[in-house]
Order: sequence, then structure tokens, then C-alpha cells
Amino acid sequence: MKYKDYYASLGLERGASDGDIKKAYRRLARKYHPDVSKEAGAEEKFKEVAEAYQTLKDPEKRAAYDQLGSHPAGEEFQPPPTWQQQYSDAPFSADELDLSDLFAHLRGAAGNRGARMAMPGHDYEIAVAITVEEAYRGTQIDLNLDMPEYDQRGQLRRVPHAVKARIPKGATDGQRLRLPGKGGKGLHGGRDGDLYLNISLRAHALYRATGHDLYLDLPLAPWEAVLGTAVEVPTPGGAVRLKVPPGTQAGRHLRLPQRGLPKPKGGQGDLFAIVQIVVPSVVAEPERELYRKLADGSSFDPRTHFVEEAGHAH
Amino acid sequence: MRIEAEVLWFEQHVLSLPELADISGLPSPVLEELLECGAIAPIEGNDLRFGAAALRAARTARRLQADFELDAQALAVALGLLDRVAELEAQLRELRARQPQRVR
Repeated sequence: MKYKDYYASLGLERGASDGDIKKAYRRLARKYHPDVSKEAGAEEKFKEVAEAYQTLKDPEKRAAYDQLGSHPAGEEFQPPPTWQQQYSDAPFSADELDLSDLFAHLRGAAGNRGARMAMPGHDYEIAVAITVEEAYRGTQIDLNLDMPEYDQRGQLRRVPHAVKARIPKGATDGQRLRLPGKGGKGLHGGRDGDLYLNISLRAHALYRATGHDLYLDLPLAPWEAVLGTAVEVPTPGGAVRLKVPPGTQAGRHLRLPQRGLPKPKGGQGDLFAIVQIVVPSVVAEPERELYRKLADGSSFDPRTHFVEEAGHAH
Repeated sequence: MRIEAEVLWFEQHVLSLPELADISGLPSPVLEELLECGAIAPIEGNDLRFGAAALRAARTARRLQADFELDAQALAVALGLLDRVAELEAQLRELRARQPQRVR
């Protein structure tokens, strides 16, 4: 198994006092806790910090950890056989374990006292990013989880679990799914843990989601906005024809009911096309001539309110 | 080993108080204190049933309690603030979604 330097994880020296350990943990937890922190990689960092603290805060676990000696972090090592006899409540195969497993199952350590006590299995939370199309249709994801478990011989080892989870249609950003009993195995009759999936939507080139509604930019040429038109608009369920009424202003939301994302309890969000009036950046001469004619012949003044409002101010 | 797992939306959960305690892992006395001060609330119109919001709050409380050693009062304050953050983030997401992005 790989050695982890728990002291370094907390930014401490080996001889740190219990008070220093607590202080360092509190400072780092406040900084990296996933419920509180928005820093990139906070969750990974917090896991490392929490694992180190779980072991170092407990005097017996800390003593057992110190007995392993000091190795460079990440180096492959084996706990000596005497260590195993002294500290572990079950035989283990060091190749198949994570260092944290040893301390979670330490003999006589706090939490393991009365070793036959029913203990619920560990809950796992996993972030799952899906596309808008996957959210629309539903999708299936394959998860590979390594969980510490006791085998029939009572030996502790990491067991790979492949979980195929169906994400039904109805998912959107921030929604959660629970897979009961798919977390870690319970001990001594405790219930199995749960697996939680926290869904997020990947950014999409066309659609922006909020709840189950989708927003899409709809660029129109000036004459389309003035005269009205019918345009093909993409939606996750396929293109639909949208009628743009004459005199459509930029920024207007044209609603396509029930063309957004499906909802878990039935029904469907809406899709909104936001009108943008777009002008060509290069205009060739015959076309430019038409614009000039329009400019000369039009009585439209888009800034009448400038004069009125400026007048009020005095 | 392949497992085709049963999948539940948070929204589908309607839980009793013991189920909420069991699934969240939050000790009953703490859960009761959070209920008393309104930090975790039952489904409207039903004092004994708890839905997605309560499950989410109870799980968050469980994490904060374990990782920060907070008491029920501090948990209630933290849950309230996290709720407000979530609400503001949802509003921000909506405003961003409604904001035209393609400017040529």
C-alpha cells in the first residue's frame, strides 16, 4: 500500500501537539470543506485533510501510525507483521488496502470498541456531469468504486464494485439521486450505506438551463424582426418551427412551451428563445444601397425618449 | 460484478422521522433540535412526513456536525446560511441563462 504523510497533509511536523493538530484541521476544514468552499479541488483536498485528522486526533491511532515509521509520501510499503498483530483486529492484505482502511478498522480504537456493534455502511457521494441531451433522454452511467470489505475469511480487503446506474430523464443541475444500499457494506448487522449522485449539467453550446427551463439565443436579421418570419429552432427533442411576429424587439423571450427538460414527476419545462437582432459586419454595395434607401425613407427614431427624458431632468 | 441499481430522485422521498434519522445518519436528539428551531421542516400540511428538502438539510447537517463538531444551534445557523447561498446561486444561474450570450 502507499504511504501517506498525515502530518504533512495538515502542514505539521511529526511532534505536533494535540492542540496544533486540532487547530490545523479546523483551519484547513474551514478552507476546503465542500459544503463551504468554492475552491477548485476543494473536495479532494478536504478528504486528504479529514483522513489525516481522523487518525492523528485519536491518541491510539496516532501511536499506531507513528509506529509505521516515516516514509516518503506515496512510497509503497508494508506494515511489519508485529504491527499487524498488535493493532489490527482482522488480518489484512496490505496490497489490496488503502492506508485509511487500516485505521478505520484498528483494534480497540475509538468507534471500534465493542467490536460486534452494528455499524452502518459508509455513504458515498459522487459528482456526475451529464449533457443536456442526456438529461433530456435519461442515460446510464458506469461507476467503479473501491470499497473496503471483509471477505468470508474475515480478511479486510478493497473490493471493486461496478455499479451501473440508470439516470432517468428529469435530471437537471443540482439534483440528487439516491441509490439505497449501494454504498459500503454494513458491519455486524448494520444496514448497507447509500450511494448519492449529485448531478450537474455540462455547459452546452446552444442551451442554458435553469431548473427544467432552457434558454437559447435566437439571432434575427433586422428585416426578419420587422416583418416577422418563421424559423427552425433546435430543441433537445428535435427542431421545431417558431413563428416570429412582426415588430419583434431584441431581448424578447419567445416561449416554446414544454420544449425544455422533462421533470421527474412528469411534465416538462419550457424553452425560451431570446431574440437578438444581428447585423452583417460586411455589406456589399448593392445591399448597402438598399440600407441607404431605407435610411432616407424611414421616419423611425429609436431615441425619442432621449430628448423627453433629458428635458425632464431640467 | 454488475449491479443494476434502483435509483431514487430526492424528490420521490417521503420519509418518517425515524427514516430521516436513519438515512441521514444524524443522531435523533440533534435532528429533534433542528426540527424544533425550524432548520429542518416537514412537508407542508403534514407534520410527520419529510421530503427532499429535509433529506438534503439533514445530510448536510450530518456532514457539518461530523467535520466541524458543531452543536445544534450552530448547525441551524449554518443550514440557514447555506440555504440562502443556494437560493442566490439559483437566481444567479437563472439570470445568466436569461442573458443573451452570443454577441457578434
